Amino acid sequence: MRISFNWIKDFVDIDADPSAVADALTLSGTEVEEIDHVTIPEEVVCARIIEKEPHPNADSLHLCKVDTGGEELQIVCGAPNVRQGMLTALAPIGTKLGDSMVVKKAKIRGVDSYGVLASERELGLTDDHTGIMEIEDKSICPGDILIDKLKLEDWVFDISVTPNRGDCLSVIGIARELAAIFNTSMKYSPIEPEEDKTPIDTALSVEIEAVDACPRYCARVLKGLHVAKSPFWMRRRLFLSGARAINNVVDITNYVMLECGQPLHAFDYDLIGEHTIVVRKAYDGETFVTLDSTERSLLKDALLICDKEKAVALAGIMGGENSEMSDDSKEVVLESAYFDPVQVRKTSSRLNLSTEASYRFERGVDPDGQKKAVDRAASLMARLADARVLKGVVDVNHLESAPRKIYLRKKRLEKILGVSNVKISKVEAIFKGLGFEITSDEGGWGIIAPLFRHDIEREIDLIEEYVRIDGMDNVPSDLPRFEPQIKPSDVLKLRDIRATLSAMGFNEVITYSFISPKWREWFKDRYLELKNPISDEMAIMRTSLIPGLASVVARNKRIQLRDVHIFEIGKCFLPVQGSSHLPTEIERLGIAISGSRKKLHWSEEAGQVDFYDMKGIVESIVPDIEFRPSNHIFLTPGIQADLYSGSGLIGYIGALNPDIIEYLDLSDDIYVMEIELETLLIRKPAEIGPLPRFPSICRDISLVVDSNIIYEDIEGVILSKGIKDLRQIEVIDVYRGEKLPQDKNGITLRITYQSATKTLEDKVINKWQKVILDTLREKLGIYLRQT
Amino acid sequence: MERQLEEIKSSFKQTLKKASNEKELEKIRVEYLGRKGVLTSILRKMGTIDPKERPGIGRLSNQLKLFMQEGLTARLEEFESATAKTGIDVTLPGRTLRRGRVHILNQVLAEIEDIFADLGFLVASGPEVEDDYHNFEALNIPLYHPARDMQATFYFSDNILLRTQTSPVQIRVMEKDELPIRVIAPGKVYRSDSDVSHTPMFHQVEGLWVEEGITFAHLKGVIETFVHALFGLDVPMRFRPSFFPFTEPSAEVDMGCVICRGKGCRVCGDTGWLEILGSGMVDPVVFNYVGIDPEKVTGFAFGLGVERVAMLKYGIDDIRLFFDNDIRFLTQF
Repeated sequence: MRISFNWIKDFVDIDADPSAVADALTLSGTEVEEIDHVTIPEEVVCARIIEKEPHPNADSLHLCKVDTGGEELQIVCGAPNVRQGMLTALAPIGTKLGDSMVVKKAKIRGVDSYGVLASERELGLTDDHTGIMEIEDKSICPGDILIDKLKLEDWVFDISVTPNRGDCLSVIGIARELAAIFNTSMKYSPIEPEEDKTPIDTALSVEIEAVDACPRYCARVLKGLHVAKSPFWMRRRLFLSGARAINNVVDITNYVMLECGQPLHAFDYDLIGEHTIVVRKAYDGETFVTLDSTERSLLKDALLICDKEKAVALAGIMGGENSEMSDDSKEVVLESAYFDPVQVRKTSSRLNLSTEASYRFERGVDPDGQKKAVDRAASLMARLADARVLKGVVDVNHLESAPRKIYLRKKRLEKILGVSNVKISKVEAIFKGLGFEITSDEGGWGIIAPLFRHDIEREIDLIEEYVRIDGMDNVPSDLPRFEPQIKPSDVLKLRDIRATLSAMGFNEVITYSFISPKWREWFKDRYLELKNPISDEMAIMRTSLIPGLASVVARNKRIQLRDVHIFEIGKCFLPVQGSSHLPTEIERLGIAISGSRKKLHWSEEAGQVDFYDMKGIVESIVPDIEFRPSNHIFLTPGIQADLYSGSGLIGYIGALNPDIIEYLDLSDDIYVMEIELETLLIRKPAEIGPLPRFPSICRDISLVVDSNIIYEDIEGVILSKGIKDLRQIEVIDVYRGEKLPQDKNGITLRITYQSATKTLEDKVINKWQKVILDTLREKLGIYLRQT
Repeated sequence: MERQLEEIKSSFKQTLKKASNEKELEKIRVEYLGRKGVLTSILRKMGTIDPKERPGIGRLSNQLKLFMQEGLTARLEEFESATAKTGIDVTLPGRTLRRGRVHILNQVLAEIEDIFADLGFLVASGPEVEDDYHNFEALNIPLYHPARDMQATFYFSDNILLRTQTSPVQIRVMEKDELPIRVIAPGKVYRSDSDVSHTPMFHQVEGLWVEEGITFAHLKGVIETFVHALFGLDVPMRFRPSFFPFTEPSAEVDMGCVICRGKGCRVCGDTGWLEILGSGMVDPVVFNYVGIDPEKVTGFAFGLGVERVAMLKYGIDDIRLFFDNDIRFLTQF
């Protein structure tokens, strides 16, 4: 909300400068986000047009002689409203207008011009650029400095009002806060308009059918008004508040709303059928055309303001096109109502239509403010639009507005805040300043909040009022006693995983949990679908980290980063049956690699990553894991495996399906793995064993193997012999090629033996080697390669 | 005399070490071994000492002479071999290893967790897909309350949504844990916003301390300790009354702008202050929802944005960088 500091000062006397006032407001809970200093150059003066002649060389220009108080100047001006005798604003030579323009003596189509007659927009006063500024105030004379005479220096506060403080959404609301903070009083007296003799009853009746939704409806009728442009001072304030000036009637309703927080609506009286206002709920499927020429279809609980035949306004949100004030309107019905906040909010959020009025109704307007506001508007219309105000106000009031008394215990106040010896006089001063009634006894205070403070319902609300006005700085800081905690092991383990992976050369990424539905083609799961995604590309919740990781690889390749080694730890979302159940959230670790295996070095050619790189990574971080051939659609057939641990299937590894590579517009392979994080977190530290005291001995054997035999079988057969001192089997070479028959592969194993109790003798090892070779031949037809 | 020889030896060693080319070596040789050199002048004084000590000193002098000659030769060879390039080109690049980085947000999060661990807080967690009850209702944000405007929400159904804040973890913890409760709950949260300062997903850390006797003064003490531990002891702070439906009294916590040091700049909107976290005393309504007696037990809660902390700590001006996952960005931390 943007409001003018000068406007606030109409209602409260404050000596402090604007920035001190803004700070004080901010520190009381009403945040001033920005202060905008608005002013005009001091050189700009009032000038009178004494003569207006056509420009000799241009039809659209005038040659004016103007009186500037001391001298007469010749000025060329093209404004349509320039006329002899008018008072206007003159920017003399040397005046800086706007950011870049300086007024200079100029020759315009061959005629000298000694200054600029300026429009309100050129002076930054309003957005009016229909002609040069018209000075209506008769007390201002040529030569008068405008910034002083019209009080044009001002400060606009951009204020962020919290949702509980609807009462602060107005100039008066902010002035009330300042009066409490600065311990001063308000300058405010309600204005009763001068009334006509004709009573309003003869002109208008109001029937409320939906009392819950509209507990109070006030209206006035004004006749004989002249719709015209509003005076400068009003348009100026509206402009500073960001409201567009339209005409005096509409401007006054906006002005009064900004000033006192009560939204008003003006209907053209002639367009109200049978001069009767009916407040009712909409029929299911009823449609209504609002002021902005949009047809709205309504549900049956939307509240409408109607006449005897038709709806004329969407209550508390926006008026209708069919009853709008026009330039020819002569009579007006002024509405000032209290609409139920939830009612207004339901309709405005369903229609996605939020207005200044609905914003205020949703946050609760002063239940006692309807008549004051309609009176204020009526008196302004009488003054500025020559309206006759019919006698009386229609006021249908079903509001129960008995003030609530709340008791504030001194002990409770001190217990919540952690302060002692709160002074009774201070508490009294604070609440009186806020316009509350307060009585003291030895245990505390009985407090009655004013009606407009509907946020005050409980003792805790009063404690908040106390601390926000007294200042949070006045509460001392204190540290409570506590016991230290041992950091849970999974937090530490998780950090260890991150540290390990980053040290191994992987960058951690964080991708959005929602992904494109396109991925469904490869990840055929059930998905949680967002009803209101931010874009189609972010519409379903991921069931795997792979889509996000693959997209990151693609993204980096597009900026010529070809080697990508990344990991992500995050949740995947698996729906469960029944829409009212929360999904299963599984935290996973995913890794993706692509490009060259090592950093480029001049000494060797960098190989591209392959399946065994990815497998090695898994083996390095997850011990005791089993790889079983798998068949996932999103992976390349034949280059993939499921990961099994003691607890079952925990993940998979493989080359991404070529279709996905193509979809991502890439050419390089991407290898991925994904594993449940849980299995990494619960792993216990290995038992610490004694170091071997006797030497190890290793033997290499080169074998010729049928190509359909997999390594796991060979290892299995060797281990099946139960040789106690066999420590390790390593694959040191795999050979496929012309030196061997077509259906054979060569494989070289290094077998290491070591005993815990003695140094092993050669003949023992020879015996074991023979056992191994015999078994391999017998079971798998494997024989030693002849070299 | 013996001591003098020792001194010569040690000064020779130092000078030799500093020599960087052959010319300097020659200068050193003249200085120490030349006809007018240091050693020679010592030997000339041999006549003045006790004859009994002469053989000893003589031997020492010879040893020193030999030592110096060998030293000079060795250095000379070093220089020669370098010039002759008989070795490898040590200026060619080595085989650097890849080094990755933990995502900056997780680095900052770890730092935050550590500070609160030192203050006795445990780490709790909750689901990212939440129900309306835990995300809003039990936090005193009823349907059609304007406070829902503060958080644009992603929905799966009328009742199931992506949590807009980590605050529902407060409810889940209070529903099941024994008092006293002292937890932080870091995690992802989601709001349907997207621009320079908003991403549809971001990270928060929620904090909650519930125990008999906890006061607003304690809230101030804990938050001040935290902010000072994270941003330095000299950072000014202020508590500014605000509104959160689930705390009362509520306070936004501002710290002096780390960019302009309070003078006013673009980052702090010329105010000199930066909003760093939201906090307040747990509202009695919330205690009622989880069956805690607000007359007996009090508590405070707070929440902060991890991205915001990281942006302020590292001067990052576009929140979207955290999720673009551009490796050039990720490897800077």
